[in-house]
Amino acid sequence: MPKKQSISSLVNSLKEKKISVHELFDQFHKVAKENANNSYNLVLDPDYQKSNLEISQERYSNGKNLPLDGIPLGIKDLFCTKGITTTASSKILSNFIPQYESFVTQQLLNDGAIFIGKNNCDEFAMGSSNETSHFGPVVNPWKNKNSPTEKLVPGGSSGGSAAAVAEGSCVASMGTDTGGSIRQPASLCGLVGLKPTFGSCSRWGIVAFASSLDQAGPITNSVEDAAYILNSISKHDFNDSTSSNHPRDDYLKEIDKKLDHKIKIGIPSDYLKNVTPEIIAQIENTKKSLAGYDIEFVDVAFETTDYALSTYYIIAPAEASSNLARYDGIRYGVREEGGNLDDIYLNSRTSGFGDEVTRRILIGTYVLSAGYYDAYYRQAQKVRRLIKDDFQRVFQEVDFILTPTTPNEAFKIGEKLDPIAMYMNDVFTVPTSLAGLPGISLPSGLSANGLPLGVQLIGNYFQEKKLLQLSHLIEKELSFNE
Amino acid sequence: MSEIDIKRISYLAKLKLPSEKEEFYSQSLVDIIQWVDNLKKIDTSNVKPLHNVTEATVSIRNDDIEKNNSTEDVLNNAPERAQNFFKVPKVVE
Repeated sequence: MPKKQSISSLVNSLKEKKISVHELFDQFHKVAKENANNSYNLVLDPDYQKSNLEISQERYSNGKNLPLDGIPLGIKDLFCTKGITTTASSKILSNFIPQYESFVTQQLLNDGAIFIGKNNCDEFAMGSSNETSHFGPVVNPWKNKNSPTEKLVPGGSSGGSAAAVAEGSCVASMGTDTGGSIRQPASLCGLVGLKPTFGSCSRWGIVAFASSLDQAGPITNSVEDAAYILNSISKHDFNDSTSSNHPRDDYLKEIDKKLDHKIKIGIPSDYLKNVTPEIIAQIENTKKSLAGYDIEFVDVAFETTDYALSTYYIIAPAEASSNLARYDGIRYGVREEGGNLDDIYLNSRTSGFGDEVTRRILIGTYVLSAGYYDAYYRQAQKVRRLIKDDFQRVFQEVDFILTPTTPNEAFKIGEKLDPIAMYMNDVFTVPTSLAGLPGISLPSGLSANGLPLGVQLIGNYFQEKKLLQLSHLIEKELSFNE
Repeated sequence: MSEIDIKRISYLAKLKLPSEKEEFYSQSLVDIIQWVDNLKKIDTSNVKPLHNVTEATVSIRNDDIEKNNSTEDVLNNAPERAQNFFKVPKVVE
């Protein structure tokens, strides 16, 4: 894997004029342009970014640099970027050029970040392996040391964002997480992936999948880098009615603060029932690494874990079927002709959506249709409250919850054909999403095949600052970063 | 579980599944609906549905006029346009 360069060290190098903004961009652009792992749907060239690079360099020259000035970032192709094609990795949006910038990417631009390109992802963010993209699968830069020619999935849906950071074509990237789409690929690519509390980062301008679950967040080489990005993107926005207006912390400040009081971390025994010894070892290693601190680990048990995936696979497709009703071939996107208006709708949608997206629209339509709404959708929303209450009960006993991020290491492209087997990948991340809690995946070690594995740390609502502080400590103690 | 009428569901979703794929989607739907059926076991008679996890109150902005989204920028993405309109086949006789 390429050498990891932190945002703070790069900002320092730029300040001290050891490297120019242009040189830094070129260094990452060169790797991105090769697109060896298909991590990008679009790579922006230095000519396109010329004025942004010049302005950024000028700020450094004047000593007035912004927090992310000149830092090359990858952006999941789900964020609308003004004047830059935004496809959601779908055929139906393959020609869409947004006339506006998403709130989150605008914050990054306001802080001086430079975009390298748009990262490949699962179509409309529906997938856990990045194989559903209209533009082909993303390849995990990590190889199985016992079978190095095999092409492995990077996870999904933010698979391109994760592979891009791992291959060294950007310093950090933006993903979105609906049921695990930041944490799971981060884990399979040996990176840090943060899904903030629902409502922390505005959904405005993010192509919608499931609006009560979608949340933007960073995929980074380190916890400190995640804090840099979160400082930029976590803000209230009037354009998203679910955006929270609680006061934000400075997530970077005191990130390495020493623990000054005892903390309790809960480990849910029900999460570890059917996992391999290798996955259990990740939890054990993490526990061991923290042995010298005033941290107590306690067993906790959830009552709703067995129902979380079912709840998710009703609510997320239901919301998706409603959100994706807007793709009709009339106002934007790809139109397929037809004899009348209805035929245009039918032809454009049928030809524009891939198999997995079609499947989820059908599930969503079914569970919302007359006669089934109460039995499925309404019941799922009620169980969702039980899941949230279950977490709140556990959080009365503990400060954080530690789980594996994924039940397995990165698997082969084309290996998982059964949709339900694929959905099981998100078994540890989905409950957190349903409860709207913040979760972070941290690299915790390597499998016997030399592939990265991760642990997930879950905090209570809007406790990102404490979550990042503890994550920073775990990262240091596990010293996975060489 | 009763049969799923895949033709009706796909029409409601404004999708026209090719006939050779109807069985594929139909079976897939049956499998997934069976898989999520375990939710029916839970007694939720006293539970309120949860729509917004943080259950925060919506904040309301000032009603100030902002100028964004020019007609031209919006229509640039239209598959077909006529002057300042999206163009579609005739819908009224």
